[in-house]
Amino acid sequence: MSVRLLVLVPVAAAISLALSAVVDAVALPLFLDTTGTILATALAGPGVGIATGVVTSAVNTLRNPTFWPFVVVQIIVALYAWAAARAGLFRSFRTAIPAGLGLGVIASVTSTPISYLVFGCTTTGGIALTTALGRALGLSPLGACFFGSFVSDFGDKAVTFALVTSVLHALPRRTAARFPWALRAIGAA
Amino acid sequence: MTRLHPFTLLALAAALVALAWLLPAPGGGLATVAAALGLAGSRGLRRGLWPALATAAPFWLFLFILHDVPTTVALGLRITTMVASVVWLVAVLAPARLVEAMVAAGWRAGTAYLFAATLSAVPVLKARAQRIVEAQRCRGLSPRGGLGPRVRALRALALPLILSALHEVDERALALESRGLVPGARRTPLAPPPDRGAERAVRWALVALCVAALVWRLA
Amino acid sequence: MTRLSLEHVSFWYPATDTPALADVSLEVAGGEVVALVGAVGAGASTLLLVAADLAPRVVGGRLEGAVDFRGRGNGEGGRGIVLPTPWTQVSGMAFTVWDEVAFGPANLGWPREQITRHVDRALARLDIAALRDREPATLSGGELQRVIIAGILAMDPALVLFDEPTAELDPAGARMLWRLVRSLAAEGKAVIVATSDLDALPDVADRVVWLEQGRAKKIGPPALLAEDALCAAGLGTAVAVVWRAGGLPRPYPLTVDDAVRLWRHR
Repeated sequence: MSVRLLVLVPVAAAISLALSAVVDAVALPLFLDTTGTILATALAGPGVGIATGVVTSAVNTLRNPTFWPFVVVQIIVALYAWAAARAGLFRSFRTAIPAGLGLGVIASVTSTPISYLVFGCTTTGGIALTTALGRALGLSPLGACFFGSFVSDFGDKAVTFALVTSVLHALPRRTAARFPWALRAIGAA
Repeated sequence: MTRLHPFTLLALAAALVALAWLLPAPGGGLATVAAALGLAGSRGLRRGLWPALATAAPFWLFLFILHDVPTTVALGLRITTMVASVVWLVAVLAPARLVEAMVAAGWRAGTAYLFAATLSAVPVLKARAQRIVEAQRCRGLSPRGGLGPRVRALRALALPLILSALHEVDERALALESRGLVPGARRTPLAPPPDRGAERAVRWALVALCVAALVWRLA
Repeated sequence: MTRLSLEHVSFWYPATDTPALADVSLEVAGGEVVALVGAVGAGASTLLLVAADLAPRVVGGRLEGAVDFRGRGNGEGGRGIVLPTPWTQVSGMAFTVWDEVAFGPANLGWPREQITRHVDRALARLDIAALRDREPATLSGGELQRVIIAGILAMDPALVLFDEPTAELDPAGARMLWRLVRSLAAEGKAVIVATSDLDALPDVADRVVWLEQGRAKKIGPPALLAEDALCAAGLGTAVAVVWRAGGLPRPYPLTVDDAVRLWRHR
């Protein structure tokens, strides 16, 4: 990995972790904790993206120890973002938001077993309560758990994809050209 | 305890968490929780025990809402072990020592850099995010208002933060290159933590213990 | 002896048509201080990056012409560059000032006692020995700038490049820095400085390079900074610019002492 890409990883991971302050300020029920991973992948490919995801999880774990099992989700997110970048899906909101929704489904499918087996679906208060709601609606325990993860992941990943698209398009051409995947991700190469 | 080798501390925390899952509930969980809370408590009430208990408490509550008592106890003990182990690890392990241990163990400078640099970068970016938020508040940003304005506000806050961080990537890369952090560089460890034979033995013993527990559970 | 020579060097950043440097030729010898002056975007920073072997190697882009660097005979003594913003040059891997300064030497794989010697010396030189156990994140801009410079000097480069080194420093710090630049030259290092602190240059620089739009418009002794063309471009020393603005005749004085002398002889 060149030094530039090596530097990108901590910066992207820190972006994921710092966005929590922004999300609080606008009082939206989002995490945006995969923003850095998706951005890094769209800029520099899956290797950098996976590294970003792992580092994000590791540093997040220091603050909240329950994040570590979800490192698997970060890796899946990086792989999905790579597929999306290859297909140039970041070229407009019209392609990016559906792609984000798709990731929302995949992310919740991936995180549900972890949430269920490790935490009994109590990963966060929100997920726990939506799981309880799901159970009340008659869903099976696993189904209710998926319901809980899905509700929070669906919108979160769509917004993240939209945000990354905005960033990629806002990059000056000169800067974007220096990242191996950036131009391809927005369908410009 | 702080004088133990960082890898030993990591191994201890990891083993406690692994054993919490591998050993049968509730006895196994109780044993590991006791050990983990004991370790956390050894760092004091404020830095160890209280954060561990405070972080674990909500899980117990939600578990109780969703599950029956045996499941609640089993999962709760495991989660508490995980929480307490990590809280202890954070309190007892200085990042600088971990980085030195990685370098001394032969890890490439670049890999050691990834973790340490993120730790340094997070507070800086968080402070910057806070400044951007405050600046926007002075211009009327409010958490009230419809969904549309709030999403637009999100973009207005997040975009400058991310773009300025990306812009710095180039300068940081230049600085690192000129200071010798090239791919494949082998750093001289500046203050390698001493690694005694006894500690290495303990680490291997912990690994063996976890493997044995795994084999026993599978059988 | 010549440490660095640029022959007819032109450089284009990636995806740009206008060259950032156009046909620049310059030779810098050990023991010499060369100052680069010019408007923003004139190419001073780019020239430093080329001299540091960071452009096009790390920056990308295209280079024409020849860049030749000769370190010291024993293979040691590379090139060190101090960039303008201290915050982006912090390694991110060091949790004390001492470790931060030792970052470069450690990456070079030096034996530990050699590192200790160089780091302690660099700390003393930059007058920051008292900060050795502080966390870099808690330092002020000026303190951090000194730490970064110490980190570069600890690597014992043969060619030292400074890009706006006094930007974060107060006047006392700036004076210390210019004394340091002269002492680096005195011990045989080649130094190139890009700066807008023109008033310091008569005492510090051996030669001045006037850059405009990537071209080396004029190269000469510091007296260049009292020439009409540079004063008109806003690149004269304050004294020269004031003298010129006051309608007083040429030659314009370079320093306050020159001005006093010229004034008394009117």
